[in-house]
This record gives sequence, C-alpha cells and structure tokens, in this order.
Amino acid sequence: MPFQIDPWTRRRFLQLTGLAGAGVTLGACASEPESPADQGGGQAPSPVFNEPATKLSGELSILLWSHFVPSHDTWFDSFAKDWGKKVGVNVRVDHVDVGNVPTQIASQIQAGQGHDILQYIATLSEFEEGVLDLTDVNEEVTNRHGEQLEICRQSSFNPHTNKFYAHAPGWVPDPGNFRKSLWEPVGFPDGPSTWDDLLQGATEIKKSQGIPVGLGMSQEIDSNMFGHAVLWSHGASVQDENENVALDSPETVAAVEFVQKLFKNAMTDEVFSWNASSNNEGLIAGELSYILNSISAWRSSQEANPQVAKDTFFVPALEGPETALAAQHVMYNYVVPKHAKNPDAAKEFMLHYTDNFGLATYHSRLYDFPSWSSLSPKLGDWLSSDPFGAKPADKLSLLGNVDTAAEWSASIGHPGPSSPAIGEIIGTFVIPNMFARAARGGMSPEQTVKRAHQECERIFSRWRKRDLIGGG
Amino acid sequence: MADTLTEPTAPPKRQPDGTRQRLADRDGFLAWIFLVPTVVYIVALVAIPFFMAIAFAFSDVTAGNPSYGWVGLENFYRVFDDAVFWQALGNTFVFTAISMVLIVVLGKVLAMILVADFKGKWLVRFLVLLPWTTPVALSSVTWLWLLHSIYSPIDWVLRNVGLIEDNMYFLGRPGLAMASVIAVHVWRLVPLAAVIMMVGILSIPDDITEASRIDGAGFWRRMFEVTIPLTFPLIAVAALFGAIFTFTDMAVVYVLTGGGPTNSTHVLASWSFVRGIGGGDIGQGAVIALFLFPLLLAAAVLILRAVRKMETI
Repeated sequence: MPFQIDPWTRRRFLQLTGLAGAGVTLGACASEPESPADQGGGQAPSPVFNEPATKLSGELSILLWSHFVPSHDTWFDSFAKDWGKKVGVNVRVDHVDVGNVPTQIASQIQAGQGHDILQYIATLSEFEEGVLDLTDVNEEVTNRHGEQLEICRQSSFNPHTNKFYAHAPGWVPDPGNFRKSLWEPVGFPDGPSTWDDLLQGATEIKKSQGIPVGLGMSQEIDSNMFGHAVLWSHGASVQDENENVALDSPETVAAVEFVQKLFKNAMTDEVFSWNASSNNEGLIAGELSYILNSISAWRSSQEANPQVAKDTFFVPALEGPETALAAQHVMYNYVVPKHAKNPDAAKEFMLHYTDNFGLATYHSRLYDFPSWSSLSPKLGDWLSSDPFGAKPADKLSLLGNVDTAAEWSASIGHPGPSSPAIGEIIGTFVIPNMFARAARGGMSPEQTVKRAHQECERIFSRWRKRDLIGGG
Repeated sequence: MADTLTEPTAPPKRQPDGTRQRLADRDGFLAWIFLVPTVVYIVALVAIPFFMAIAFAFSDVTAGNPSYGWVGLENFYRVFDDAVFWQALGNTFVFTAISMVLIVVLGKVLAMILVADFKGKWLVRFLVLLPWTTPVALSSVTWLWLLHSIYSPIDWVLRNVGLIEDNMYFLGRPGLAMASVIAVHVWRLVPLAAVIMMVGILSIPDDITEASRIDGAGFWRRMFEVTIPLTFPLIAVAALFGAIFTFTDMAVVYVLTGGGPTNSTHVLASWSFVRGIGGGDIGQGAVIALFLFPLLLAAAVLILRAVRKMETI
C-alpha cells in the first residue's frame, strides 16, 4: 500500500485551523502587565487611607489618559491596585492616548457598558446626560479639605442643572516657556510679560536668529488654550457670565488682529499643523523661542536636551489690553457613567485619590496641581527647590503655589461655566480656526469673527434646546 | 487512516466521535458554517450601523445621551447650514478623483513592472505589497514623521540638494496638506491596484500578444489596443476599489492633518467623526456620514457589473 499523506484535506484543514486559533488565544492570554517602577526623590508625601463609608466588593475599572509624565502612570496603577486590595475591590486601570479618550467615552456611553470611571484632561460637560451626579463626592472632599478652587469648580459643575457632572481633583497651569539665551539679547532677559512684549521680542528673535514662537492654531487642544488666553487678555470671550454668546465684539476683532501680526512677524506655517506634542518636539529641538505649555515640555527636555532645559524659563499669563489670564493647560475631569457597575467603589476611589493628590503632584514631577489648595501642602517648597533636578532649583518658583497659579488662570468657559456648549466648541476647534483663517489671510478679522460667532450661536442654541445651558 | 485522507469524497470508515465527523464531511453544512461569519460580519458591522445611522440622522442623540428623540429634518438643516460640510463634501470628491486617476495609472505601470521577468522578482513583489499590508493608522503615523514640520527627512533632502531654503511645512499649508493626503492614499492603494491589474495582464493568452507583435504592433499600440481592452474589467475593479477606500477613509486625514489647516482637508468621514464624537452631536455626525452612501452604492453596482462582465468574457 503506497504511503500517501495529503495534509490539506478538509478535515485536516479544520483541525489545523482549530489548533492555531487555540494557540493564538492562549498566547494572547499569556502576556503579563509591566511591574511599576519605584520613583526616587525621597520627598514623596505619605499615603493617606480613609475607610470607605460602605463595604465594597467586586470589580472597578478605570480608563484614563497616558500621562505626559510617564512616572505618574507607574505610580497611579499601583496606587489604585493597592487601594483595591485594602478595600476588597479588584481594580483594573487602562491607559489610552489622550487623543482617543473622548472617542472611548462616547462609544462606552453609547454602548451602555465599559469602565466605571472615565477620565479626561478637559471638561467632559458634553457628556453630562450620560453620567452620574457627583455632588456627594465634591461635598465630601470639601468637608475634608475646604473650598475647591473656582477654576476647577467651573469646569465640573453646571449651574443651570445644578449638577456636578464631573469630579475635578486636579489641574495644570499653562505658563509661558521661553528660551533665555534668545530673549536676553533682544532686551527681555526675564521673558515677555505682555502680549506686546511677545510680539516685539519674538519678531526680533525670528528676524535675527530665524527661530519662531510656537503657538498653535490647529485642530488640537493646546491651540484652544492659546486662543482663549489671547481672547480673555483682550477683554473678549466666547460667552458672557450668563451663558450668552459674546464672541462678535471689537475686543475679539482686536485679538484676531494681534494674532495676525504675531503670525506674520514671528511664526511659521507649522502652527497650522500643530498637535499635542508639537510644543515638546519644537522646544526639545531648540527650534522655538516661546511656547504656551505646562512644564512637561521642559521636563522632557531635561533628559532629551539638557542644554535646552537649562536655558528654558517660565513666565505667567501675558498681560493684554484688558487683563492677564491663561487657560488651564489641563483640567482633570473624572466621571462615573450611568452604566457603571460599581458606582460606590468608583466614588470611594475618587475620594481616596483626592485625599492623596499630593502624591499625584509629586509623581507627575509637579505637573499636576490640586484643586483643593490644602491637598498638596509641600507644593510651594517643591516649586522653590525642585526635587527633580531643575537648574537653577528655584526655576519653577514663579508658579508660587496652587493659589498663585490660579490667580492668572481661568476655566475654559470663562467668564461663565464650562457648559456642554463650551465643550462642543472646544471639541470642534471653533476658536483656533477663527484665528487661523485670519492669520492665513483667507478672511478679514471681522469676517472670521462673525463666522465663528455664528458657529457658536448654532452650538449654543442646540444645547439650550436640551435645557443644559442657560442664557438665551 | 492514510487511505481515508487520500480519498476525501469517500465516507469515513470509522467514526469515533460520530456526529461531528459526519457533519464535517457534509458540503451543505460546511458551506453554511463558512458563510455564517461573513453574514454575521456584514449584518453586525455594516447593515446594523447603516440603519442606525439613518435612525440617528433624524434624532437628537448626543454622545452623552443615547436616548432617542425624533427631530425630523433639523439635523439636515443644521448640516447644510455649515460651510465646513460643503468643504468636506468637495474635498471628498477631489481627493477621490485625483487619487483614483493616480492609482490606476501608477498601478498599471507597477503591474507591468511586476509581470516582467527579472532576478529578485519575488522580493520586489513582496516589498511592493508592503504599503497595502501595513495598517493604515501605522503607515499614516510614519508619514506624519516624514512630513514633520521640523524633523521631515524630505525637507532635509530637499534643503541639502539646494531645492528649498526653508522647510516646506507640508501639513501646515492647505495645498500641500491636500497633496500630502492624496499622496499617502495613492502610496497605500497603488500596490492593491497593481496586483489586481497584474492578474489581468497574466490572464491574456500569449498567442494574442505574439500575434499582435508579429503584425508589427509596438509597445504602445499593444498597450492601448490589446492589453487595456482585455484587462479593462479588472482595471475598473482596481479603480473602484481605490475610489471606495479613499472615499470612506478617515484615518489618513485624521492622523496627518486632523482636518486642518482650518478644516481645509476634512473629508466627509473625518468631519462626521469630529461633529459626532468630538462635538458630541451624533445626529449631525450621522447625517454627514449618510452622504457617503449614494456614491458607495453606485460604486458597488459598477463593481458587480464589472465582475459579471468578467464572468462572461
């Protein structure tokens, strides 16, 4: 009998594909999470633990961004799991790229399933109808730690519906970062202090050394922050305190005209393709003279380009014709979606996390500021003598403490709340596009302001119809 | 056992686990088993979302509130009232048309190269296919770095050969940003078109080519009077696949430009995403996405006709 094997008979094929499928599944299950690394420094505060008000059990899943300072995530993951072990809850933490967080939140709320806690770095007001009221959490934290900063309250509370749609335990200020070696020769050794200083100095630097300023006018979050800072400093805003659209004003036109000049004299077309990491990339490459950013770009340069790090210094919000205000760089919003399976554990974890926000500040290398001043009592000392190697050690002292930085910072809805309408305006980049249209020369300042005003009116009318914002 | 394996049509002599083995040998049963995943896939990921999009287009559903409220044509009025929608619609057609022409022309050229006989042909074929096999998000990120405003190696080369003084800022200037998006689409879809057309070229009987050569037809005459007419259905399929993939794709725009500068590179898919997810207005996002449907329907009909034509050749 001749020995013949045809391996591709139908039965053989089914057997092989079945085995292959099982192998792939087992292989995928075999991966292990990375173990958290210890953070040095020796000045970290001691963790605080308060017993939960009720007996907890089950699972708790948390979705949050991948922090710009990676050491934070290493700490957070073990912090959350340690808490879970103490209270009898199995905690799972998932990190996603910052740009994908809103998509995740939207899809989970639409699907009615997913994580118990969802976190983002800007207001989540547009999701108000799909999340639980966290007034009880905010009241408890206020009982424990005193009054919340107004900037954070405005970014998590809707006065029209009287609902805390989010818990905002922390935020990040948005100072100007400038290169001293570039600004000193043009007569500003301590950097610009007004928008006019910026225009004058940056123009001279670009002319003499070919290095532009990097202030985005693109479809991304940093561009939103820059646009709002310029508006407020010129006395303009998207809305008034009663939630009526107020964009079409001579002050807004003046702000747009200013940005037109700034772009023409001191920027390049790269600002129209800005993304969330452009600040960092440009600063580290030594290709930008001034950026609006948190301290993360400078922190990155401490390792990637120490010369640039040494040369980078900070200024608070620039003074305009009306005032000096910067938008928050980051505003942490933690929400508990209505589909959460373990809302009690979610709320208790938020309380525990907020109690220990000093640790978040420390492990984010002073990136995260608390929303309750008392939560990070050592912050002033750390800023005066940076435990993470700033040269000179008091480089961050201009940030003073939480209250000092909050004085020149505003919530993104300023002078009103960060309502769902404001959330949509941020999410569809109405303000950066308004500036960019004029800067590129496609529209006059008056035309672009009118168009942006109409877009805002359309957005406001829709949310007003849903009775989620006031005014009208 | 070896005997059984060599005779797949014969019934199994021994059936140790009875029913399962008999089922595995039944054509009708297996046909259904193999079809079910496809049917489930199409129903779950195409049909249901499509009908949901129609339903959402007439609703006030937001990203934060999935509950359904009928609003009639209000979302359509709002979308039509938005200048960016019309810009995105125009961009979608422009991107698709230019990409399709380039994909067909370059795909044809590449196919001719791939059928030629030369050393290392298989390696070249493998390398040529890489852009198509690379996930679109991954390849777009690679292109993001190639077109970076500071670190672009393309800028570096152009500067060093003296063609430019300053960087090009590919993604910061509307014209260049649009060209970049089209270039990436063409780069990733040309291999697919080339492989489809290569099959067509290889299917032309040698005696036809020989006969035309003996009759004195040169390269171009053979190309336009023999090769192209005989492979036209496959060229049409390649063109339509290119058009569909370009028309419906949002990853390239989303990763490369985010729709900027000033919304100048938004296409329907990316603008639908920004309005529906970024802005939280699922209703308007659905309306915008629905405008993809008529062209996709037309493309599907044309593809099916081309396939039928091929069957009758």
